[in-house]
Amino acid sequence: MTQPTQSALTPEVRSMIGVKGEVVEAWGVVDAEYLRRFAQAIMDPDPRFWDEEFASSTPYGEIVTPPIMVSYMASRVPPGTEDPITKAFEEDPMSDGIGRVHRHGELPRVPTNLVRVLNAGNELEIYKYPSIGDKIFFQHSYSDIRERVGRDGKPFLIITRETRYSNQKDETLCITRASTIRR
Amino acid sequence: MSLPLDDLLKLSPEEIIQHNEKPSGDQLRNKAQTYYEDVYEGMELPKYMYKPTPTHLFRWSAAIENFHRIHYDLDFGINHDKNPSILVHGSWKQSVAPQFLKDFTLPGGWPWKARFEHRAMLVPGDILIMWGKVTGKYEKGGMGFVDLEIGMKTQDGIESMPGTATVVLPLRGGKPIPYPFVPPAE
Repeated sequence: MTQPTQSALTPEVRSMIGVKGEVVEAWGVVDAEYLRRFAQAIMDPDPRFWDEEFASSTPYGEIVTPPIMVSYMASRVPPGTEDPITKAFEEDPMSDGIGRVHRHGELPRVPTNLVRVLNAGNELEIYKYPSIGDKIFFQHSYSDIRERVGRDGKPFLIITRETRYSNQKDETLCITRASTIRR
Repeated sequence: MSLPLDDLLKLSPEEIIQHNEKPSGDQLRNKAQTYYEDVYEGMELPKYMYKPTPTHLFRWSAAIENFHRIHYDLDFGINHDKNPSILVHGSWKQSVAPQFLKDFTLPGGWPWKARFEHRAMLVPGDILIMWGKVTGKYEKGGMGFVDLEIGMKTQDGIESMPGTATVVLPLRGGKPIPYPFVPPAE
């Protein structure tokens, strides 16, 4: 007799849908130097990012920044905190360079024994370009957890983490969703 | 001359890069508005070509403070993670996509949303083609919504970022697209 396949979407896993992390302020502000480096790294020569006079004539009325530039501010390590790179290599001389660093605002882990993690895709929604001088706030949440069954007949989870980025006026700048497969 | 994607992929890598339609700063400054009425199903957006080098990858890692060694440490990438080389960042592709949509909608449209998956390992030396094709359009709330299929293919036609997007264009003679963008009520 075949054993019934046990669902990976247990009540404990399902209860994580909608769980939100704390609202966290990213270190620093959106500044012209970060904008310069970011725009050059994506090779975007748009004068809306650096020509103040031209930018003032656009619908935005000011210099703006690429929409999801601020999403990388969320992973900034504030000065005065333990150096995560040194720590990562102390723990593991063959560290991949990322380490196992706790970051502010992280969500509690989904209680599953499925440990293999694969990137399943990303979504972006853009509402306003960040401005120079903006403070950036972000908040993660589990917006969706679904179960699927693989070709091998084993269930796996697709976990979607949504992050809302906002400014000091609580205007939504963009929303990102990152989905990962847990097998 | 703008070549259809399928024709472009029949060319050699050296020829493909000659068809780069990525606009200069001055072209972005002076870009004429594409209106909702101008687009049609099957229309291809200008294609952006990239030929990333290890230095481009390092610059991106530094810009976003991503210290993952697979992107700059060749020895680690090959011998530890068994990758074919250092790898182009998914985060870089993810940041190029909104740029591509922004440029198409300038000066008065809006690159509203996109979704995509990351597939294939991209390495320095690959030629990467950011592309988009109109799959549908509709009017709502006095604005023009355009659905797109988007992606980033290699010179060999391998799709590394299959996805979709929706951008908003003004109607000819219509109201400006609101900024900050407010989608119409469902």
